[in-house]
Amino acid sequence: MSRKSSILLFALSILLLTGVSFGGSKFFNSHPDLWKNPDILIWSLDKEPVIDPKEFCLSLKRTNSGIGDPKCRLQGEWMRDSIAVRYATWLNANMDPALKPEYLKARHPAMQAKIQALEDQIVLYIATNGNNVNIALFDETASEPKAAGSILLSPDKVSMGDEIASMFFDGTAKRRLSKEERKKKMTEPDEYFQEVPVFKMWAGIGMGYSQAQIPLTPDDWYSSHVNSQVGNYRITKDSVSLWNFLDDSDPYFTLYVGGTWYDFIGLELTYHYAKHHMKTDPKDTVYQELDHWNFSQHEIGLSAMFSRNYKPLTWLDITPFLFVGFQYSFFVEDIALKDGVKNPSKAYKARIKFEEAYKGALVGFGSHFIFLKHYGIGLRTGISSRGRNMYVDPSPDAAAESSVIGGFTPDWFIGVGLEYHLSLF
Amino acid sequence: MGCGHNYHWSKSHPLYKKAPYGKLAIAGTSEAFVLTRSSWFAKKLGWNPDSIQLKATAFCEQVFLDELRRAYPNYVKIPDQNFNHFPEESQKLDDRIFMKGRLPEQGVVVKDSAGDIPPYILILHEFIVGTDLKRETYFDYALIHNEMTDKKTSTHISAIISYTLWDNERQRPLFSAVDEVQRPITKPTPEDLEALVRSAVKQIRINLYGGVS
Repeated sequence: MSRKSSILLFALSILLLTGVSFGGSKFFNSHPDLWKNPDILIWSLDKEPVIDPKEFCLSLKRTNSGIGDPKCRLQGEWMRDSIAVRYATWLNANMDPALKPEYLKARHPAMQAKIQALEDQIVLYIATNGNNVNIALFDETASEPKAAGSILLSPDKVSMGDEIASMFFDGTAKRRLSKEERKKKMTEPDEYFQEVPVFKMWAGIGMGYSQAQIPLTPDDWYSSHVNSQVGNYRITKDSVSLWNFLDDSDPYFTLYVGGTWYDFIGLELTYHYAKHHMKTDPKDTVYQELDHWNFSQHEIGLSAMFSRNYKPLTWLDITPFLFVGFQYSFFVEDIALKDGVKNPSKAYKARIKFEEAYKGALVGFGSHFIFLKHYGIGLRTGISSRGRNMYVDPSPDAAAESSVIGGFTPDWFIGVGLEYHLSLF
Repeated sequence: MGCGHNYHWSKSHPLYKKAPYGKLAIAGTSEAFVLTRSSWFAKKLGWNPDSIQLKATAFCEQVFLDELRRAYPNYVKIPDQNFNHFPEESQKLDDRIFMKGRLPEQGVVVKDSAGDIPPYILILHEFIVGTDLKRETYFDYALIHNEMTDKKTSTHISAIISYTLWDNERQRPLFSAVDEVQRPITKPTPEDLEALVRSAVKQIRINLYGGVS
């Protein structure tokens, strides 16, 4: 019974959430500053405003707990002024989802002066247009609306107020600035010239799958490596790729942390773990003594990321990214003989050894999907490689040395992760 | 710097979906026409230098209106007193191109002499007639203060036209542009001047259709 009711509650809350998000349509929203204890002036084109100032204040408090104690009243001065009424009428006829804010600019100098004189009060423009109600927000910083949208007209003033409040007033309320602070803020540089850049970071845990074959490339590039088998603990046709020895198609697990500056350039540190079985030749009787022979693959990588942030909905951020980086790979052997085998074979003692560490590159792309600013799902795919250690001094008899085992071991991976995102500055 | 710049000479409103057809009102013609190099024109056309400015602009205006009447059978002219009180404003077409002209106020409809409200008004801001004119020298703010050498020989008579197609019902500029037309000449005649104005009207009509977004 309790389980049933919790499912019901969940469904109801989803319904409510979607209802709130999609009930009206937002034309644009440049997120004007929302102050704590704001003064909201309701500028209605209609004689009888479709919302009630007092009820609207209560709606604001209900939808935004951080808003403090808002004061709402009708913008009587503008409702009586003929220039403002003309602009209001014009705005009502011109508001359209296809128009950017600059097309809705007030052109009359007297109207522009009125808007500029607002001094951090917010003007909420409301006008009925057929079955819809057009809504726009003005503040002193621009002579065009900072946000606009429309909702369906309903006779219920309280529900209208709730809808408007959740559409445009759900942001974080900031402390109201004093006159001096406001003056200082006016001369503050653009965000790209800030001394402390916008920095976002995330941490994630994920899993995925990797294989030697890169999609859309021919099988025969890989078949000799993938189909190879290890005889007598070390014999293969060639040893250039570790996939001659190890199973290549395996799941992997990953942990990662990263950050971006300006929503554009970033760094990510990743740890990657996978377990691979050795491809022992089943026909080779020497392995009868063997219980198991695996290698754990540990990889630590650092990549540079280039990303871009898109915000299609208030509760969703989509950040596609490209990454390119380098990594170190370590293969840790896990081998055991069957119980009762006292003396392993000679071949066992002389079995293949991999290099202590491999160095490689990784490149790929993906996207973060961030819900409610913090909870993210990350998808990514790419190609990574592991190869010979670059930091070996060339020796005079390099030509005589045997080639490095696993000198070129690329693979393709695809994965998904759960992430937590944080914006610091 | 000027050479590499790729100008945009027109701007369409995102909701400019249909060019006016048949019915059009016109405003601003009484103060739009300007003749440059008037003494040269007076000498070549054999008109009196004292009255050439008045005579030539009136002539061009008449040709312009006649040509529009042919193109738009339901054509009306907005009387000056219904239009000329609006202030001049500048419109940005491009990073460097700004055109100036009267635009009706937001929320105020313009009426014709019969008291009707025409849906579209073609507002003619400027119609500059001269020889070998280049529109960037008039409308690129980086170049307008450059002095030009006074040429003795002219190969073309030219017109530069700036205009706005105004949506009178919703009071918004649907299409704004600066056009340039050239007509090769050896010795100018009034017929050349007439042909120039006609081709200017043709150019405007082509652009009004081409500007639909």
